[in-house]
Amino acid sequence: MQWDLNWFICTLRSSIGKKLIMALTGLGFCIFLIAHLAGNLTIYAGEDAFNSYAERLQALGSLVVLAEIGLLFFAVAHVFIGAYLFYENFRARPERYLIKKNAGGRTIGSVTMPYTGLFILFFIVLHLIDFHFVEKTDQTIYQIILETFSNPGYAFFYIVSMIIVATHVSHGFWSAFQTLGVYNSEYMSLLRVMGTIFSLAVGLGFGFLPIYILFIS
Amino acid sequence: MTKTGDKSCINLKLKVWRQKGPDVKGRFETYKTRDVSTDMSFLEMLDVVNEEMILSGKDPIAFDHDCREGICGACGAVVNGRAHGPEKGTTLCQLHMRHFSNGDTVVIEPWRSRAFKVVKDLVVDRSVFDEIIQAGGYISVNTGGAPDGNAIPVPQAAAEKAMDAAACIGCGACVAACPNASAMLFVGAKISQFTLLPQGLPEAKKRALAMIGKMDELGFGNCTNEAECEKECPKEISIENIARMNCEFFKAGFL
Amino acid sequence: MQLDSKIPDGPLSEKWDRHRFELKLVNPANKRKFKIIVVGTGLAGGSASATLAELGYEVMTFCIQDSPRRAHSIAAQGGINAAKNYQNDGDSIWRLFYDTIKGGDFRSREANVYRLAQISNNIIDQCVAQGIPFAREYGGQLANRSFGGAQVSRTFYARGQTGQQLLLGAYGSLSRQIAAGKVRLFTRREMLELVVIDGKARGIIARNLVSGEQEKHAADAVVLASGGYGNAFYLSTNAMGSNISAAIASYRKGASFANPCFIQFHPTCIPVHGTYQSKLTLMSESLRNDGRVWVPRNPEDKRPPDQIPETERDYYLEEKYPGFGNLVPRDVASRSAKVQCDMGKGVGDTKLAVYLDIKDAIERDGRDVITEKYGNLFEMYEKITAQNPYETPMMIYPAVHYTMGGLWVDYNLMSAIPGLFVLGEANFSDHGANRLGASALMQGLADGYFIIPYTIGGYLAQASLDTVREDHSAFNESSLQVETRIKKLLSIEGKRTVDDFHRELGHILWENCGMTRKDKGLKKARGLVADLRAEFWENVLVGGSGKEFNQSLEKAGRVADFLDIGELMVIDALERKESCGCHFNEAFQTEENEALRDDENFRHVSAWEYRGEGCDPVFQKEPLEFENVELTQRSYK
Repeated sequence: MQWDLNWFICTLRSSIGKKLIMALTGLGFCIFLIAHLAGNLTIYAGEDAFNSYAERLQALGSLVVLAEIGLLFFAVAHVFIGAYLFYENFRARPERYLIKKNAGGRTIGSVTMPYTGLFILFFIVLHLIDFHFVEKTDQTIYQIILETFSNPGYAFFYIVSMIIVATHVSHGFWSAFQTLGVYNSEYMSLLRVMGTIFSLAVGLGFGFLPIYILFIS
Repeated sequence: MTKTGDKSCINLKLKVWRQKGPDVKGRFETYKTRDVSTDMSFLEMLDVVNEEMILSGKDPIAFDHDCREGICGACGAVVNGRAHGPEKGTTLCQLHMRHFSNGDTVVIEPWRSRAFKVVKDLVVDRSVFDEIIQAGGYISVNTGGAPDGNAIPVPQAAAEKAMDAAACIGCGACVAACPNASAMLFVGAKISQFTLLPQGLPEAKKRALAMIGKMDELGFGNCTNEAECEKECPKEISIENIARMNCEFFKAGFL
Repeated sequence: MQLDSKIPDGPLSEKWDRHRFELKLVNPANKRKFKIIVVGTGLAGGSASATLAELGYEVMTFCIQDSPRRAHSIAAQGGINAAKNYQNDGDSIWRLFYDTIKGGDFRSREANVYRLAQISNNIIDQCVAQGIPFAREYGGQLANRSFGGAQVSRTFYARGQTGQQLLLGAYGSLSRQIAAGKVRLFTRREMLELVVIDGKARGIIARNLVSGEQEKHAADAVVLASGGYGNAFYLSTNAMGSNISAAIASYRKGASFANPCFIQFHPTCIPVHGTYQSKLTLMSESLRNDGRVWVPRNPEDKRPPDQIPETERDYYLEEKYPGFGNLVPRDVASRSAKVQCDMGKGVGDTKLAVYLDIKDAIERDGRDVITEKYGNLFEMYEKITAQNPYETPMMIYPAVHYTMGGLWVDYNLMSAIPGLFVLGEANFSDHGANRLGASALMQGLADGYFIIPYTIGGYLAQASLDTVREDHSAFNESSLQVETRIKKLLSIEGKRTVDDFHRELGHILWENCGMTRKDKGLKKARGLVADLRAEFWENVLVGGSGKEFNQSLEKAGRVADFLDIGELMVIDALERKESCGCHFNEAFQTEENEALRDDENFRHVSAWEYRGEGCDPVFQKEPLEFENVELTQRSYK
């Protein structure tokens, strides 16, 4: 490869460059998840609190649109590069092992990364249809949530989805820092713990909502 | 020299990958081996099997091996799904049969990766590792004219960490064990060694770009931070070295 | 033919400088016109290839392994000596020289050994610059440890993997030259013949071990760095592939073989435990710094080691050699262990082992300190024996480790065939009758980095060499010889495997040409080896073909050559009617059972010239002159 020509693109096109994009976009989604979770937690404070949160968010106007475009851009990058990496990785071992055992490095999160990722893509599309592009003139977002989650089948689907998101994040969070080059082993063990806490927070924080709503309705 | 009564013996069923050459299709063949002393090393067990095969006119199992003390990095096979077998921090030559039980079926496969072509049976071509080193895995210093060994102090902790990374024996178990057949631990270890020592710094940028560029060319997979390499590495080299390599790569690529 | 060692005149300390000045130089522009073949990529071959390429020569480098990084130098554990005197403990070039000469029991050349001691310091500097992670003190300075045969701390080390690190340094430099296009690398190639034209070494015939094809390579000089012949004993600490074929092929073409009976037995190896065993594993001699060697006083004592009280333990090295204690040279330590076992005081199932106990050191320094120093060795021991050295003393026994003998070379490291240079363990030059610990790495790198680059230039500058190409008839003849031999090996189709013959050869040599020797046994061994060789060529079963990857065929060729070197070893041992260093003939010993030299009659190098199949080799003598050291009875008391 010509390193001096188009050095920036070259860097990004290399194996580590692609990892870097996965890590940065992934961390972007982690930040989004924190913000999203913080907003959703207002549901526990009651209808008014949640609706006012939704209104204030809307009031940010173009800022929200900008963030949405950013997230969309991140999603496209994360999905396409992820898929390409998956393809390259598959190709790197044309003849598979008859038996391959886990030596202790892999976790449920890491093994399932491409599959949980694909599922999350599917979930996000549904989720956007259900809550983002939904007609909101007749009812508040709170009412929509209440209505959707009162369907036990949907609630179950949502909880499973959140477990899958948590699984994806359990590997993705610390892995992003590993990719970014955090080589200090003390920091790394801290980040691994934080990753576990974060994935639990995401799983429980989001996943408990339908149960709460089923309970109050 | 001396003959001792073998204390305990086991019988095994071996399922071994046999492949005549790189472009020939391979297959598994099953062999029964009896009275394997548990004091034997895995390769000594294969020696015995091979000797019987030669005597009965069959083609013995080809496998790479040399020092048989875990340092040359020549040997290696995936044994029952584990690179270099089930023991931690062990090369195949140091794996002893006491870790197997009577009646076990042992599946023996070569390292499998697009970058490592099978030469014959369990022997693979790892010359791609040499190519990566040739791309920059050294400090460019001609013989003669080096300053006194103590001229540049090296902090003990840095020397120790460099040594941790430098312990790599180039066996290829990291690639074999990686779900993606990635060579990042091998490359990361070499880059780390030289990054940690003051002597390696002048070329750090060039080295990182050149070695990683070469690695990408050779058909290895990408790292997805599964850490299988670290767990299977016979020298237990940490993936912290991969993180350090990433860091070096960003410094070199963006700064 | 007279062997001329070409030792330069002048005072000892000025010989090398003066010689370098007197050697003719090759004009930098002309260097690229010279092709040099290097066989082997260990410390000597790797460093030579890299350095010669840096100078501008066209280098072709061959190794039998799949990568140059796997040469057996990689297995050296303990360290590398240098006369840096960083510890301020009284070391000097002179002391390193003296220790090495004395350690070799005054059977090496003063001039060579002095040069080695001088160069030792440059090696450390070079290796540090290459990024070798030597052990460091807290202040960032290089750390040292002590080693057998020396009373100063002069050994530099990188944990228990010094050989590996030094080799990877040389491999890195070699890789750089490969990338620069100055070295062409040929892996999985075995040199089977030396091509001699007009009395000069002009090329080799190599077999591609993957395809089985023969390759002819012409050059202006050939450098052999193909290691030693310890594997003649079948069981040794050498790698499975270590062999003598390249050197024996050169011997058959006229290179004399020097001191073949000088074989080092390393005292601290893991004992043999079964007939199927393929190799012996060394535990670094550095363990003797902190470990104490003992056996039970009473041969009948069957108790486990921890139940034997201090008073009933015989710390035989400390008692017999209070000056050096457990740090006596390797030959002394090995022989002492054998003596104890011969008295029935050996331990373990086979009674062929002694204890190496680290307990006192752990009590003194704490477990952490000891783990830091030897942790990896203990792990290795536990993997092999399933015993934990922290809890129970290790069992050790001597094993064949290094061969001081090798192809005869002059001061320029050139063999009896002009244009054939021999480096490292493959030559005989610097260690005399016994090599001190941490000196092999020093010699390999000295030869490769700092000696051959000068001396080969001196040869090339004055030798008038015609252009020789691979279609020269000498190449065809040599190639035919290789072809015939391979066909012969494959066509015998006998009843015994190659390993079977190899094991028997090893047994004969171990019993009769081992740590102690008797004329009677040696004579017997000579007959046995000859018979075995005759049987080999009639009854060996190789299998497969010559045009494929055939590991059994590789081994067969090597064992055939081990049979030859085995015989030469015995012939040499019979000729040397004295004891010196590792060569201990029971008929020649002092009252205290130490080796008794005969400086009057045997102060020489014994070299052997090949005279054709079935003929006895011809003895050649290179007298050794000692102008600077006094020949004394070695004493480590």
